[in-house]
Parts: sequence; structure tokens; C-alpha cells
Amino acid sequence: MADVALSHIYKSYDGNPVIADLSLTVKSGEFVTLLGPSGCGKSTMLRMIAGLESIDKGDLYIAGRRYNDIPAQKRRLAMVFQSYALFPHMSVRENILFGLKINKVAPALMEEKFTWAIALFGLTGLERRLPKEISGGQRQRVALARALVLDPDVLLLDEPLSNLDAALRESAMEELKRVHRSVGKTIIYVTHNQVEAMSMSGRIAVLAGGNLEQFAAPQAVYDDPQTLFTAGFIGSPPMNFLTGLLQTRGTETGIATEVGFIILDKERQVRCVASLGKKVIVGIRPQNISYTDHFSARRVSDTSITLKAELFETLGDRNLVVARGAGDTVLRFLMKQDDDILPDRQVGVFIDGRKIHVFDPDTRKSIFK
Amino acid sequence: MKTRLPPMSSAQRTIWLIGIAGVLFFILAPLYLLVKYSISDSASINTGGAPVPFWPYHPTLINYWYLFTDSQFYKVICSSLFIALGTVVVSMMLGIPAAYVLGRYEVPGRKTLMLGLISVRLFPDISSVVPVTEFFIRFDAQNTYWGIVLAHTLLALPYVIFIGIGSFESIPRDLEQQARVMGASRFQIFRRILLPLSVPGLVAIAIYTFLLSWDEFVFAYFLLGLGKISTLTLYLKQKMTYAPPQNLLATISVCLSLPVILFAMLMQKYMTAGITQGSVK
Repeated sequence: MADVALSHIYKSYDGNPVIADLSLTVKSGEFVTLLGPSGCGKSTMLRMIAGLESIDKGDLYIAGRRYNDIPAQKRRLAMVFQSYALFPHMSVRENILFGLKINKVAPALMEEKFTWAIALFGLTGLERRLPKEISGGQRQRVALARALVLDPDVLLLDEPLSNLDAALRESAMEELKRVHRSVGKTIIYVTHNQVEAMSMSGRIAVLAGGNLEQFAAPQAVYDDPQTLFTAGFIGSPPMNFLTGLLQTRGTETGIATEVGFIILDKERQVRCVASLGKKVIVGIRPQNISYTDHFSARRVSDTSITLKAELFETLGDRNLVVARGAGDTVLRFLMKQDDDILPDRQVGVFIDGRKIHVFDPDTRKSIFK
Repeated sequence: MKTRLPPMSSAQRTIWLIGIAGVLFFILAPLYLLVKYSISDSASINTGGAPVPFWPYHPTLINYWYLFTDSQFYKVICSSLFIALGTVVVSMMLGIPAAYVLGRYEVPGRKTLMLGLISVRLFPDISSVVPVTEFFIRFDAQNTYWGIVLAHTLLALPYVIFIGIGSFESIPRDLEQQARVMGASRFQIFRRILLPLSVPGLVAIAIYTFLLSWDEFVFAYFLLGLGKISTLTLYLKQKMTYAPPQNLLATISVCLSLPVILFAMLMQKYMTAGITQGSVK
């Protein structure tokens, strides 16, 4: 077990920086996800930790030791590639034992580890099969087993679930969580899929354009996005963004937008005093706009506005409503299955003032202190 | 992955069958003639104006008997075999590591290097043979086994390297990197991952190289022509110089072809398609 510290990492390809001054520390035994769209540098980061890419500037420390110049084969890490990279000419057993043989592990210990791994991943009975003779889900488990028998200090996973279908992915995620709990390894996981990131990781590092946008627990990333990018990237359906002016009207502080004056709750009002009078971008999740019928009670911190419902999308348990407010502003919100709204009707909604995100349009960062 | 052909109408089927029969005819007819001549008695060849029969009047193995009792014949078979296998071994030992490096790593001046490799073969053998012989003579390489093996290696090497590069390049890079992360050295990766996966390509190279050396004439003639070492092709040439009985020449030709066919058949089981299947995804 080991902690992984990246300090002021810089990497460029042909003069184009892909990672610029990135610092990040993964604690020993932690499950950290590097999350971001394709091309954000997350795989490059992982490959630098593995030693498959050189580090242009900055330092990589594993368990306190500088690793920049240690070759990949001496790092005692394990990695699972997106492609699984199973050796096609070796059986499941030979694949799992490959690393142990290379590292000259005693046969008895090798056998013990093999038995442990095939039991842990439910691969019993497949030992003699070749990779082409087993299913995608089984290949993924072989790849994981092959990585874990090496008892690595750090386990690196590069989008290991992206080749699985939805149902398999669900069970594979549970399995990964279970494995992490039982072996307690430091895991660094790369994905562009926010569901995987949210459901498995202890902390998520959100990356965009080679920059670290936010590094926090999944709930904190969702509840308190620190940058405009994180706010837009995390959460489904994506957040609504409006522009407005942060100001105080009477006793309330809020944002004057085209759809109306959106008030903030007391706690948020205090946190944004420094930015009063500035132009801002308001972010509201579709989940935090609720349809009101006659019986709904408005909280003090709720803003009540009227929208015209235009389109409906069924999400199964709920419907997504695309509605238009004053000044042609489009807002998306969710309603319950049994709420009954007709197209082209005026509907009243409450915006939850406790869940509003406000960003500075220049720095693209949250203005909340 | 095997795909079933779409069902054909009987007209289509007929056209296909005619086509296949045509191709087979062009492949098999010369073989048939070769075998036929090798077992012909002289009356079936010098027919005195009558059409040459499709099958000899009196099939005979006399030519084979003649060959197999000729001690010279055994000697040339042995030296041809030795030279061919030597060429396979030497050119693969030199060519495969070169192909590995050129196919897997960024090598400065790679293009120039590859052009240099193939330059020997940019000229017809008959024009490159003179300077090569000249050069070999300076090193006393004429009339020696190592000389002719090196000469054949010179001819085979560009192909070994080019086919080798192709087969190494087709192996997914992930496999190599995975092995590296697991602690394998470059040599272990080469030995345990890349080499086994490139077997079909290597077998093709071996067959090609064997064939190239086995039926090579021009270089053998210039380098060995006057000496004690003789190859099958030189033996054939030597027999042709004296008023050549066609049936004997055909017999030698059959003996020239048989080992090639045998060697290819032996090697074929390693030429399995789809060896890297199942590695990625």
C-alpha cells in the first residue's frame, strides 16, 4: 500500500501542453477516479504514473519516493488497460500467472495466489480457456485478477468497464467496490463516465484540458461544484445556466435574471457578499426546479416563477420538461411521473434557493466563499 | 471469423466451377507434365512424329533409379539442403531482431535504412551478382558454404525484415506495455509475448527463405560454379550441358520441387490465422 503524490506535473506532445501544472495526492488505500471528457489528459496521467509516458516537468512520488526515473517494469504497480490486453496465446491460468513467473515467485506461493484470485473473481472452471474463448465480462475479471495477484502497491485502471454492456457494468462496479474493500489497495481509476466515478470512488479528480478542476468526494463534487466545468459535467440531465446580476433587493440577496429574481438561501447569501453587484452565471440543476400545483408550499428560500412547457422526455421514473421562461430562456426540470402537465401550458415552478450555484464568468470559478 | 457465403443460383455456381477448374488446370498441368516426363520411357518422348501420348507407353522409374544411384546426386541434395537451412537460420537470426526493432521502436533514419536493405534487390540478380562475387572473392568466400549462405542471406534479408516488420507491427501495443508494467524486461517481452504471437509471420518467412535459397541459381553459379560444392540447381545445369534427356531433367526437377512442398506442408500448421484474437476487447 502506498500513497501517490503528483506535484506540479507538466506534459506536452509536440509543444502542445496536455497537462499543465497539475498537483494531486492520492492517500494510501484510497479509491480515486480521474474523471473528464476525452482528451482531458486523464489517461496520460495514469500512464505517467505507470511509467509508460515520461514526465516533462514535476515530480511523482509513490510511498514518499521519487519515481520519475524508475522504469515501468520496476514500479511494482499493476494496470488494467481499457482493452484488457490479455495475452491471446496464453490460457486464463497462464495470463494470471505471467507476472508472478516474471517476478520469480515461488511455485507454492504462486499456486496459493492463483487459487485466491480465481475464487475472488469467480473464474473457477475457466483456467484452461484462451481469452478468445471467454466472454467480455470474464476477460475483464481475468485482467483484474492478473493485476491483483501481483500484490501491487497501487492499482491503475484505465476505463476497464467501457467495453461492457450496461448490465454487466453495473455488476462489475459492485465487484470492483467489493474487491477494493477486501484488498484495500490504492486504486487510481480513469473514466469519462460520471456514474462509475460517483458510485465507486472515495474522491473524484475532475480534469478538463489538462487542468484539475476539482478534487473532492463525489457528493461534494455534485453539491458544491467549484468550477463552471465541473458544474456542467457532473449531473444528469445537465445543469441549467443563466446569466444575471448578483444584487440585494430588500432583505434578500439573489440574482436578477431574465426569468426573474432568483433568491439565495441565507447561508449562500453570506458566502457571496464579496461579489455583490457583479455579473454572474447561475447554475440550477433540473432536480432543483420543482413543478408546483396548488398544494405545494413555498419555502422562504424558494423562488417562484412561471414557465411555458414545450417538450417532454421520458426518463422512466420521471419526465424531463423543457420549458421556456421570460426572455426566451430555456430551462430544463424534472417532474414526477404522475404530475400532469400539458404541452404549451403555463406552469409554476419553485427554484430551490439552497441548491443554487453561482460562478464568476471571467474566472469560471464558484463565487461562494 | 468465418462467414457463410450467400446462396448461389445454379448459373452462378456453374460459372464459379468453370473458373476454379480453369485456375486448377493452369496450376496442375505443368506439374502433370513434369511428373509424366520423369516417368517416360524414351519412346514416349521421341515419338518420331506421332503425337506425344498423355501417358507414357511404358511408364518407368529408370530415371529415378539413375539419380538415386548417382552418388553425386546425394551430395548436391545434401549441400542444397544445408545451404537452404543455413540461409533460413542466418537470415532469421539477423533479420528478426532487426524487424522487431524497426517495427516496434522509433529508429532514426529508418527510411534510409529500409531503402538500403532493399537496394540489393532493386537490381536484377544478374547485374548485382558480379560486384557481389568480386567482393566475396576478396574475402575468400567463393567455393565455401559460409560464402554461399551469406550470399543467399543477402538476397533473403530484405524480405525477412519487411515481412517481419509487418508481423511485429500487427501485435497490439497494449500487450507489450501490459507486460512491461508487470515487470517483464524487453527480452522477456520479445521472447514470451512478441515471438509466440508472430509465429505465423515467421513461418511464412522461413518457407520463403528456404525456397529462395533452394532454387537459387545465379549466385550459386558465380560463387560455386568452379568448385567442389555443388547445389541441385547447378547439378541440373550440369546435366543440361550434355545432350539432355528430357526425362532425366524432369526427374531432377521433381526432386527439386518435392522438399519445397514437404517443407511448406510441415510449416503450414503454424500459419494459423487470428492468433491475436481475444487479446483486446
